[in-house]
Amino acid sequence: MIKKHWWKALGVVLLIYAFTVGLLVPLKPGIQQVSPRSADAGTPITVLVNGYNTSYPADPTAIRAWLKVDSIHALAANSIRQTSRRAIELDFVLPASLPSRADVMPASLIIDEAQSGVQVLPDAVFIRQQVLDPAAGNIAWSQTVIQDLHKTSGMNFPFRNILKETIRNTYFHVSLWFAMLFLFIASVYYSIKHLRTRELIYDHWAESFTRIGVLFGILGLTTGAVWARFTWGAFWSWDIKQNMTAIALLIYLAYFVLRNSFEDAERQARLGASYNIFAFSLLIPLIYIIPRLSDSLHPGSGGNPAFGSEDLDNTMRMVFYPAIIGWTLLGYWLANLSARLLILREKYLSE
Amino acid sequence: MRIRILSIFCLLFGTTIPLSAQDGGLVDFMDSIGKIYVVVGVILVIFIGLVIYLIRLDRKIARLENQIMDND
Repeated sequence: MIKKHWWKALGVVLLIYAFTVGLLVPLKPGIQQVSPRSADAGTPITVLVNGYNTSYPADPTAIRAWLKVDSIHALAANSIRQTSRRAIELDFVLPASLPSRADVMPASLIIDEAQSGVQVLPDAVFIRQQVLDPAAGNIAWSQTVIQDLHKTSGMNFPFRNILKETIRNTYFHVSLWFAMLFLFIASVYYSIKHLRTRELIYDHWAESFTRIGVLFGILGLTTGAVWARFTWGAFWSWDIKQNMTAIALLIYLAYFVLRNSFEDAERQARLGASYNIFAFSLLIPLIYIIPRLSDSLHPGSGGNPAFGSEDLDNTMRMVFYPAIIGWTLLGYWLANLSARLLILREKYLSE
Repeated sequence: MRIRILSIFCLLFGTTIPLSAQDGGLVDFMDSIGKIYVVVGVILVIFIGLVIYLIRLDRKIARLENQIMDND
């Protein structure tokens, strides 16, 4: 019993692990919101900061904060007040000039304290300047050095400003796509095996793997749309990744239409197998190559790797890789049921 | 069966466009809770998809069982 079914149990255990750990591990403390978002050089400003998962200490001397305009220029906060564990107020006196000839410079906000660790909000405050004096700006913005930053302790997932908690979708949406690719590879393997041997049983396996692959693809596209609604702003942005994926899935749906247009099982199998190889050879460029060659909202466009070290750190890998194996095994299980059904149907109903 | 797959697809495409432009309140609410319900939504979509697949498989097995019974 266990000898025969161990992989089903493994798949379920890995998915239970991915669901519990993937949902329970907290995000790193981060900066949720600041106001104001813009300020004039040469004026004092008070920046109100809302933290996410932070525990700002009551003692303001334990907190340090900077506005950073580029890799070498930063300005430390004059005074800091804690209003709650989730909120602080920072006073800055902005120098009259910026260390640049630009009219506006975006400043990142960096907050550091021992318990929550360092938190960064990129482009937090846009600073306008009237008096262009880069030399004076250079001096004024070089008075402080950002150093001795604290690390967040404990097990955490990265806090990314737009993603926030949705970074957990990596274990569901992204790993589902990986599983889909493995299922399609298995399907092509059986299609080739069928073309070489003409055994119908291999065609049943190929059809089943394709069926589950398409199911996972549709789920991947739908979950991607839900995720996109709250990160890109719309379910469907006509983004190249979304469009090409939809086209690839339509090509795979045509596989079933093609099969059903023939009565004869042998012809169904032979044409299905050939078409499956064709569909797979289109899937790879459509999903993995073309979107990377052009601009896309999706991670991994413009030649970037889909996973920067910030998007997928080692803590996430501990959940992400087991999740891929779990979804693949679950997909294999579903394909297995479907194939057994097709084999039984052929055996009992063909004569 | 195939029609059902296509209708799910059409549903996906059809509902996406009109919903996209509106509703700043929903976006603000999601922001305030770190968008955790997006994860809930994604998990629900996957779960519902798997259940729909299982229901279809169940029906196919039942049909095969009936046909085998009739043949005997």
